[in-house]
Parts: sequence; structure tokens; C-alpha cells
Amino acid sequence: MRGAQVAGREVEHLDAIPGMGAAFARAMVPSRTSRVTLPRRISTVHDVTQNRARLADYARVCGFTLRDAVPPTWLHVLTFPLHIHLLGDPQSSVKLVGAVHTSNSMTLHRPVTADERLELSVHLEGPRPHRRGALVDLIGQVRVDGEPVWDGVTTYLASGASVEGEPEEVERAPFEPRSPQARWRLPADLGRQYRRVSQDPNPIHTSRVAAKAFGFARPIIHGMWTHARALAALENRLPAAFTTHVDFVKPILLPSSVGFVASETPGGVLADVVTKDGAKPLLRMRVEEAA
Amino acid sequence: MTHNAVVIGGNRTPFAKAGGPYAEASNHDLLTAALDGLIARFGLAGERIGEVAGGAVLKHSKDFNLTREAVLSSALAPSTPACDLQQACGTGLETTIYIANKIRLGQIDSGISAGVDSTSDAPIVVSDSLRRTLLKANAARSAADRVKALAKIRPSHLKPQAPSVAEPRTGLSMGEHQALTTERWGITREAQDEIAAASHHKLAAAWADGFFDDLVTPYLGVPRDAILRPDTSVEKLASLRPAFGGPRGSMTAGNSTALSDGAATALLASEEWAAEHHLPVLAKVVDAEVAAVDHPGGDDLLLGPVAAAGRMLARQGLSVADFDLVEIHEAFASTVLATLKAWDDEDYCRGLGLDGKLGTIDPSRLNVTGSSLAVGHPFAATGARIVPTLAKLLHAKGPGSKGLISMCAAGGQGVVAILEAV
Repeated sequence: MRGAQVAGREVEHLDAIPGMGAAFARAMVPSRTSRVTLPRRISTVHDVTQNRARLADYARVCGFTLRDAVPPTWLHVLTFPLHIHLLGDPQSSVKLVGAVHTSNSMTLHRPVTADERLELSVHLEGPRPHRRGALVDLIGQVRVDGEPVWDGVTTYLASGASVEGEPEEVERAPFEPRSPQARWRLPADLGRQYRRVSQDPNPIHTSRVAAKAFGFARPIIHGMWTHARALAALENRLPAAFTTHVDFVKPILLPSSVGFVASETPGGVLADVVTKDGAKPLLRMRVEEAA
Repeated sequence: MTHNAVVIGGNRTPFAKAGGPYAEASNHDLLTAALDGLIARFGLAGERIGEVAGGAVLKHSKDFNLTREAVLSSALAPSTPACDLQQACGTGLETTIYIANKIRLGQIDSGISAGVDSTSDAPIVVSDSLRRTLLKANAARSAADRVKALAKIRPSHLKPQAPSVAEPRTGLSMGEHQALTTERWGITREAQDEIAAASHHKLAAAWADGFFDDLVTPYLGVPRDAILRPDTSVEKLASLRPAFGGPRGSMTAGNSTALSDGAATALLASEEWAAEHHLPVLAKVVDAEVAAVDHPGGDDLLLGPVAAAGRMLARQGLSVADFDLVEIHEAFASTVLATLKAWDDEDYCRGLGLDGKLGTIDPSRLNVTGSSLAVGHPFAATGARIVPTLAKLLHAKGPGSKGLISMCAAGGQGVVAILEAV
């Protein structure tokens, strides 16, 4: 159903969260064009109820304590089928295949509980120039009774695509190697476990053959698992409302052991998932109390 | 220097039947939820508490530091230490006694006692023979020895073993033991069903009055105790078939506690700490005692608290009639009835080495807001449920009001304590 326009964008109301199968298959067909085209509409789903059993499973797989208030990364997971829906659209020249999840930001404006009915919306913005291709942003929002409770920005790099303009300079906090304060052992089946709770069927996380086809020696864990696990490690230090930003620096092959470091700064918590020896960053995360 | 250990308040999750709304929640999840509710209620976020003592009866081996891990997941300062204690169904009261004793000795000035149990998330273990085989294989020095050890695994070894509620020395379940006590003490079906119906009615009335609003925080969408049946009656309970004691037994699912999930906490402190933090004080912990009976030798398994109460009352120069309120944990309705009969039995009490019987109480002072039959009984949580409930009730009655807690526990043990309103 197509409806009114919001900020010049057509709004598509879906009756239910779209299924992943066909849309995912379409999103996996590589694009031949280097010119970036994106669907401009906003896809929304109203009245989404949260499945507590799946939430509990998600919490177990990511290391969260099961609470009434849900992790903000769980809200990202709920919006993910809309990402696939838009990237599987014929108008989208950016496809999941060949796109790399480079960074992610989200803001939890207030605690969201598992019994709240949610309104999810996602649209695409961009492309923005990048030295290795084009960046596109999936802008997600979760509302409860019209009130925005969560905002998310998922940034993909479409390598090979080109956009006019100068790439934006991003300043990153300098990384200093140090001994990890924790070690996580990621089992070989972690991709399968996270697939079950996230419903992200991308085979590079579960199949050695598929991983090899994309240039990885072994399956790699979903970036959003690593993000969730890092937030779970900070659970008792997370404010009620916060913004968190992650840069996915390097993929993590399964199985493997990685390290974790975190430090409190006046601006918030800085945390890194690092190689086992602490020498190189794999994921960099910031958490700041929301205004 | 000794101090008063006072109960400031408590918080628990609503209790629910095993396999119900908390089926996906672990002991860690439940205990963290109960702690975080307590922290929110008393503004303890970021606070270093002297010590948190908690425990669970059904515990996974990975949860060896269950309470400390829950503290780390909670909003308390990570510098808050914790320990795990376990004394079967007495755990939640034993943790309270441990914390109160440390406060009274001046070793800590604040503490949280807690208990949790999830019969939904109970550990399933492998059979003893398989475990020994695996340990042997693990210790093997060579691959050949390892293969030899592993070759001894038989299909029968692979049957998982659910935790059992049977007493290890007698092989009888707690219900079967209590059925023996029920018969020995001549406890009738009618009396048991009356206790059960009253428990539900009193708990329902307390919920309706808002009594639990500052003692319970909803969890996973459960707003209040889910086992509670406000509309039950003696007539309805009379229609249930016997569960223990054979076809002519009088113990049913209605007058026995249900397997339950839940967690409870109590905040204790010195009076000075409470004053510095501008927190209310409800009641002080006056005394406590534990006792045990020889159930493998034929004693009543769940009457351990009688000797404990007798020794504690003698020491305090009190009789049971001196208490404004009495909480007897309703493991089974017949446990409450047998305890009351035993208190009033001169020969039985002398047989325990006491100077004489403890006496009788006015039934209107017993379990006034309901007890485990209606609330549910997540084993280790019950003591930490009763302590703040009784402290609040005594406080409402005015300073000097005294309350007695009596809890039976597996292994023929009993834990009792006295609270007094301040």
C-alpha cells in the first residue's frame, strides 16, 4: 500500500514485517551498474509485537541479561527485514552482495520494553562518495504511539559504485594496542546461532563455501553480533538513554578468540573488540549518554 | 561494638509456575531483575553495598558465582562483593541471617540478602557413570587410553538426569516424607484445604490493597504472582485427587506448593547507614537459629524448625504467644498444621531436648498476607520474600511488634528468625 508523502518521500505501509526469502535472494543478485540508484520511499510496518521467546534467545546468544527493557541492537534486528526489502527492490542498484557493513549508529531515546507495540520505518539515504565506492545509509526509526524511541543509521559501502564528489574525511580516535581485559571464544556455530535469532540468512556467516566465494577463509560472524556482544559487556554501565556508534574495522572469522577492551572517558565509554593479542582493532565502539 | 541490623525493605519478581512466563529466564536473569528493582526502589544505582548474599537450590555448575555475576549485571557498583550460600528451602532466610550477623558485628554496614530459583531452567546433568567415564578419558595420558576409556560409554549412560527432589538418604520425595508426617500427626484433608484456601484469599486481599506495590516489581510482563487463584475455595480444593500418601492420602496439588520460578531480595543495614541514606527502617533482626532432625532415622523431615524455634525462644525468654505475627513457610498445608501441633505437644518438645512445649498462637496472626501455597515457592527465594513482607507488616503494627519466621528445608533442617519493628 502506498500512502502519503513524508519529507518528499512516498510512504509504503506494509501489513507485516516482510519475509526474508525472496527479498533476500533479490538483494543477493549483484548489480552490474556503477551508477547508484536507490528507492526513495519510506517503508513502514505498524503494530509490531515483540516475540519474548525470540528476544530471550537473542539475549542468550549475544550475552545480555533478559530484562523487560530490550537491548537497542534488538530493535535494529527488528528493522532488518525492511533493510532487505529496500535493498531487494528493483530500483536499488546497491545490493547486499558486494556491499560491506562499515559502520552503524543508534540512539535509544528511552528504555523500550518487550511488551510495547512498535512502528518500524526504514528508508535509504545517499549515496555519499567514498574512496572505494559509494556509501549508502539505511535510516531506521522505531516509534511507540508516534513517539520516536530509537533511531538507527546502518551504513553500507557499495564497492565499485561511484559517486561524484570528495570523500568525507572521518576522524577516528587513535588506536593504541594494549592487553585485552577480556577474551571471548567465538564457537564455529556462532553464525548459525545468530542467524536463528537475527533471521539474517546471509550464508557468508554460516557456510565455508559461501565465505570462500566472498574471499574469506572461513565464515565470519555478523558485525551486529559483535556490536551486541560489546554492548552486553558494558550492560551495567549503560545509561537509560544513549547513542552508540560502531565502526566495523575487520571481519572476525569463526571459530576464533578475540579480545575486548573498554575505558571510561569524559565523553562516554570507548570500547574495542581486538585481536587476541590486543594488537589490532576489529570493531571500535563509542557509547555516549543521550541528551 | 555491636549494631542493630535493620530491614529497610525488599523487592522481588512476581512468582510464577515452572514452565510458565519465566520459562526462558535463567536464575541469573531473575536475580538481576529482583536486584535492579531493589536498586531502583531505594536509589542504590552506582552504590557500593557491603555485601550481597544470595543462592539457588537448583544451580548450573557455570553459575558457581551466581550472585556476584548478578551484581555485575545490576546497577550496583561493580565493587560490591557477593557470595553464594545454599541451605535448600532455607536459603533466602539463611542469607538474611548471614548479612544481618555481619552488620551486627560491624563488618559491613549495608547488605542485600537474596534467593532465586528457576525450576524451568533446571540443570540437566549426565549420569554419574558417564561423568566418571568422561573424566577418566580427560585424564588419560595417551590417545589409546582415551579411546579405551571412551569405548566404555553405553547407550544407557546417555540418559540425562533431571534434578530430583528426593531425599538422597531415604529416596522419598519431600511430598512422600510429608505424607508420613501428615498421617503421624493426624492432619485432616479439610484442615489442609482450609489453610490453602485462606492462603490464596489473604494473598489476593493483600494484592488488592496494594500491599505488594513496594515489595514486587513486574518482570517479563507478569504484573503479580501468577499462581494466585483468588476464586479458589475449600469446596474446589476438596475435589482434587491425592498427590501424595497413596489413593487415600490427603495431600493434593492444591494444598502443596507448586514448582515455581522467581527471585527475591531484602535490603538490610545498620541504623546509622539507613539514616545517612535517608531510608526507612522497618524492623530489626533480633535472633535466628537453625536445627536439624534425624529423618533417615525416621524423624519428620519438615519439622526441623520446631527445635530451632524452641532453642531460640528459650534464649530470648519468649513464647510463641508473645508474637504479633507468625510466618510459617507453607511447603505443604500439612507442614504448617503439623508445626502448630508440634509446638503445642509437651512430649514432642521435650523429646527435642526443650524444657517444654512452645504453646499456641492465635490463627489470625499466622501468614496474614498469604504464604507459599498461594505465592509459589521458588526454593531459595522464599526466605527473602518473607523477611521484607513481615518487616513491613510489623512496622505497620508499631514499634516493638514482634514477628517469628519458621522455615523447613530439605535434609531435615529448619531455619527460624525473630524480627522486631523499630
